[in-house]
Amino acid sequence: MKSCATKIAAVLLLSTLSGSVSPAASDDFNSIVKMIEQFYNVKHQGIPFLAKAGMKAVGVGAKIKGGEAKHLAEAGSIKIAMFEDQNFAGDVIKFRSSINTALQQSWTALVQTMSGVDHEQNYVFVREKGDKFSVLVISISPRDATVVQATLSPKNLALLMKDPEEGSRSITQEATIVDHD
Amino acid sequence: MKSLLKIPETLLVAALLVTTALTVHAQDPRIQMAHLDHLAAKASDTVDVNIDERLIQLAAKVFNDKDEDEAQIKKLVAGLKGIYVKSFEFENENEYSTADLDSIRTQLTQASWSRLVNVTSKKEGNVEVYVSMTGADINGLTVISAEPKELTVVNIVGPIDLQKLAKLEGTLGIPDLGVGPAKPKTKNEQ
Repeated sequence: MKSCATKIAAVLLLSTLSGSVSPAASDDFNSIVKMIEQFYNVKHQGIPFLAKAGMKAVGVGAKIKGGEAKHLAEAGSIKIAMFEDQNFAGDVIKFRSSINTALQQSWTALVQTMSGVDHEQNYVFVREKGDKFSVLVISISPRDATVVQATLSPKNLALLMKDPEEGSRSITQEATIVDHD
Repeated sequence: MKSLLKIPETLLVAALLVTTALTVHAQDPRIQMAHLDHLAAKASDTVDVNIDERLIQLAAKVFNDKDEDEAQIKKLVAGLKGIYVKSFEFENENEYSTADLDSIRTQLTQASWSRLVNVTSKKEGNVEVYVSMTGADINGLTVISAEPKELTVVNIVGPIDLQKLAKLEGTLGIPDLGVGPAKPKTKNEQ
């Protein structure tokens, strides 16, 4: 009887924890990372704590449409998965279709770019998050890939929408530049 | 007899519903551009911008009236229901076919669409501008810019004209299509 009560308590605790730790937003981030891993047969790298600490979301600025350099992502809101020195050869059209299908329910695709010369792909998805906005940026090149999810203020969403290509590039740079100072 | 009369009545209602649905579809100025997606495999650069009604509403919410640029964009996009852009750049000529262009042009032969501009240049390619009207109002605009090594299709759903489009060029992912009035030359260009 005691073990039964313990099990119920454990299940209740786990369900509470999983509810608070894995909201829908993080599920999308994780499922996209998994999707990349499965599609390209690659593995994302965990970012060591010290490197994380050295990552500086204030290291670079987004210079959009001749404006002042500006940081887009809200401090502390960045989730990042990195794939380094792996092979990202595959059917780009099929991959794009899979990404769009997976995210179309809960995200709006803002801009998607592909370069046949550099074999680069960039995807930017946006959605409302209370009075702010979430942006999901997926960047894939022949040997590396990055998935970044960040929260933007309305003002910075406006900057991103004004120049989606440059804005998304800046978000990825902001998230991945390591500050060596 | 009663049942016989019932059938045509049902058919009539069904036909009416189908006709209404077709009319609504025919008047929808959103054009389908997915047929062009295969070109991404051949293109050196592909840009695909989808700003749907939800994002336009977001833009209206987040653009700042005090910022001159943002206030202008906000005004220009007010009432729009979508901005869709597909642009392909190729290393070589003839990478897209007439069939690719026709997949777009066919949709623009529907009654609500009419061609406003057709500029043909062997060297620089063709620019076609189509507008969709409901009564006296424009409810959509499509630009096909077909250059030897570049194909761009812009479809804007909602009240828009060429002047507005020209002002939106270079923002919201809309490329510079050169459809607006000629910009004054700078000192360096003169």
